[in-house]
Amino acid sequence: MATLQLLRWAMPLRGRCLHTAPNSTAAALELIRAQPSQYVVASFVGKKYILTPRDLLTVPHLRDVKVGDVLKLDEIHELGSREYTVRGNPTLPAAKVQVQATVVEHTKGSMEIKFKKKRRKGYQKTIKHKHPFTRLRIGDIVINPAPESSST
Amino acid sequence: MSLPAALRSRAANGHAAYVPAIRKLVFEFCTSWPTSQPTRTFLVNSLQKLARANPHVEVVARERVHREPIIRGFYANGRDKVISLKGLEPSGIRKKVELLLDSSGAKIKPLKSRPVESSTESVRGIWSGVHAPRPTL
Repeated sequence: MATLQLLRWAMPLRGRCLHTAPNSTAAALELIRAQPSQYVVASFVGKKYILTPRDLLTVPHLRDVKVGDVLKLDEIHELGSREYTVRGNPTLPAAKVQVQATVVEHTKGSMEIKFKKKRRKGYQKTIKHKHPFTRLRIGDIVINPAPESSST
Repeated sequence: MSLPAALRSRAANGHAAYVPAIRKLVFEFCTSWPTSQPTRTFLVNSLQKLARANPHVEVVARERVHREPIIRGFYANGRDKVISLKGLEPSGIRKKVELLLDSSGAKIKPLKSRPVESSTESVRGIWSGVHAPRPTL
């Protein structure tokens, strides 16, 4: 079971606490869930990004993915809000936090022109290149989702 | 009565529901010129399959007399993309069709520098010198 540290960023109240520190993972996540907005630090294609709902994430072109597909972010390292943060070891369990991303488009960036020249040698060439990208829209951060009841 | 900017809703296609950006694809070709021959072959062989595979797109084939063949994509943001099919074989035409179907219609802009584009306000808040604990030496 991954151990979770709860870090509190709010100003210390010098001995008077409004509430006691949570003693279970569920209570900690419930505290974060109660705050107005949350963010997530997730790895995607090997790189880490700080993501919030409704963000547009641009990554190099993903081959096996079509426009409109919904992907699940399964490497979430940190979940945080204004006053609390929960860090995974190294990732948070997928059952506790779920974030989806919808593929919005496959585009190309603007034209990049590389000019190479060696002087007095008659060597020069121009390389034109448009890098392909995939853009994804991040969905809502679902914390402590209700366990799915298996119906038989 | 116009809403102030703070109360306006911001579009985020794909957040809750995804609506495909492309709405219409128009193939324009000439019936007589030989430069349109690969386009005509593509339309005869693959157009119906393409239209069935993309039910959200209105597919149109028009005649463009004595001109080079082109393909126009019309998008939900009101923009259109026009690609010339001159010198392309059916496989090349298929690639251009996929390019149009995958695009959102937005103008091409440099995308390397900023991976995350966010309109959400900062979650942890912006540091304020007045509200931070006073540093002590």
